[in-house]
Amino acid sequence: MTLLISEVKKQYKGRLSKTPINALNGIDFTLESGKTLGIVGESGCGKSTLARMIVGLESPTSGQVSWNGEGIFDKTKNIFKKKHSRIQLVFQDPYSSLNPRQRIGDAIAEVVSVHNLRPQKEIEGRVLELLGEVGIAADMRNRYPHQLSGGQRQRVSIARALASEPQLLVLDEPVSALDVSVRAEVMNLLIDLREKLGLTYIFISHDLSMIRHISDEIAVMYLGKIVEYGTWDEVLENPLHQYTKALIAAMPDHTTFGNSREYKLLSGEVPNPANMPTGCAFHMRCSIATPSCSENIQSLRDISGRHSVACQEVR
Amino acid sequence: MTTPLLSIKNLQVQTSHDHRALVNGVSFDILPGEALGVVGESGSGKTLTALSILGLLPRGVEIASGEINYHGTDLVSTDRETLRNIRGNKISMMYQDPMTALNPVMKLGDQLLEVLDSHKVDISDRQSHVIAALKDVGIPDPQRAMDSYPHEFSGGMRQRIIIAMALLLSPELIIADEPTTALDVTIQQQILALVSEERRKRKMSMLWITHDLGVVANLVDKVIVMYAGRIVESGTTAEIFSNPQHPYTAGLLASLPKASDRNRTRLVSIPGIPPKPWSIGNSCAFADRCQFATEKCKNELPTLKENSKTVAACFNLIGEKK
Repeated sequence: MTLLISEVKKQYKGRLSKTPINALNGIDFTLESGKTLGIVGESGCGKSTLARMIVGLESPTSGQVSWNGEGIFDKTKNIFKKKHSRIQLVFQDPYSSLNPRQRIGDAIAEVVSVHNLRPQKEIEGRVLELLGEVGIAADMRNRYPHQLSGGQRQRVSIARALASEPQLLVLDEPVSALDVSVRAEVMNLLIDLREKLGLTYIFISHDLSMIRHISDEIAVMYLGKIVEYGTWDEVLENPLHQYTKALIAAMPDHTTFGNSREYKLLSGEVPNPANMPTGCAFHMRCSIATPSCSENIQSLRDISGRHSVACQEVR
Repeated sequence: MTTPLLSIKNLQVQTSHDHRALVNGVSFDILPGEALGVVGESGSGKTLTALSILGLLPRGVEIASGEINYHGTDLVSTDRETLRNIRGNKISMMYQDPMTALNPVMKLGDQLLEVLDSHKVDISDRQSHVIAALKDVGIPDPQRAMDSYPHEFSGGMRQRIIIAMALLLSPELIIADEPTTALDVTIQQQILALVSEERRKRKMSMLWITHDLGVVANLVDKVIVMYAGRIVESGTTAEIFSNPQHPYTAGLLASLPKASDRNRTRLVSIPGIPPKPWSIGNSCAFADRCQFATEKCKNELPTLKENSKTVAACFNLIGEKK
């Protein structure tokens, strides 16, 4: 089983302005089953658009997305629901992704019954099994989301995503909204579930330290493009793109301290996707840019079998 | 000994209608020119402590007792007019979300000039004072910025404007309530560098409130760790990060993934969730989640005591176990 993303583009038409917004500008990668891909990037880089596209909530303007050889947006076969039970999304904020008036057990039972995964009589047993899987006691089954803590709510969202027996989980900032002391627990849970159920993950975050902890491969996104892709250790220990280097330098580090830290700063801000710069989208903020960087569009090229980068200055 | 700029003594904050304790006996000093970090999770009382200083507690929450001493004035018992003169002028506040801290339908120039107007300060050329302040924080074309609305700026630029506004009257103390949480990491870096530089240049004191230990590690001189409405540990930044004595501080630090850990070992987690500050009786608030808790921890409230490294409220200090 493989997730295949090929030349995916997404344009949104501006509501007021005539210029379209390019959320995704040609995304290409394949992810083998059982692996975890970490996608890191800042707000507006298109990482959430990509996440929504993989689960079928957004359709690409052009390009192909397929899982297990079946196109996600292939409308000729009427297996939409079946297909989508195999890929599930876990959202950032469990408080807004769970129905506040639905008991958590019912929220999970609904998924099991919609996909006809168990006979009616066995649904309740399955609900308790799923809650157990994510470490929620069975006697909490009849609680409402507001009666749970943030960490417990995120566990329930994970259980709900697991209810359709997915092969691929897309996790969009799953721990960002949680308190520091419970983040570690949810991260450990995700790693345990991956091993136990043989899941494939796409883990999206702006926090490189979490990405580093869980990913086999890392994709760094900037303005709708992947600028660097490779195995986690290659990307983080031998970063090639100037943007990746800046992200690594910006990781808050609690192992060095004192108020004398030299900040390695990236000048400027992310350009507006409605008004894309020419050539390499990063050239105005890049410390090694040459005049031709504003002309030549960059795409990923292999540096070694485990590492590719979209930068002409990297030899 | 230097006289502290601000001294908080035994601050108690509670809900007004049913008197539930939210902040319970918090005391600390800020020295002139010092940067102090207050770290805690949601509900630990860190923000309420900061808001108390300027009398900005939200409706339904009140100061029950305690003193906040600033240059001989008790900010808790003083009249509104005195407080209004101190606010913004001597002590100013930097908020988390610049989109809600700025008025969306008012031009930036007017918002900044309003600060000068309401404090009736004698600055001969207000217009150029504001332009200089905007230039200081790196706003390109300040003249045009004054004629623009907040939505015309990016998050990072808006946060810079908030900083310019907070610095406008050259305060002695700046209170920052997670001003970089809403920003992207590379922009967060820019803002942290800017704040550090301005603080050093102006020899200001700073109170930085955050849930992110990584942010304060490189920013402040001293750190206070709050848990369930109380201070559980305080000390110099170096000691708190390298020799934490309270099991909660140590647990928080251990739960962060480390960049040096090549094998990506399992993260250390703290089981359970923080209790509500008012639900704790005569016991250590952390006892239920603490791996070192003894019978004593459940029956007696530990008080802050100086140890060889830090000041901590715990019967079973980490350093005593080795």
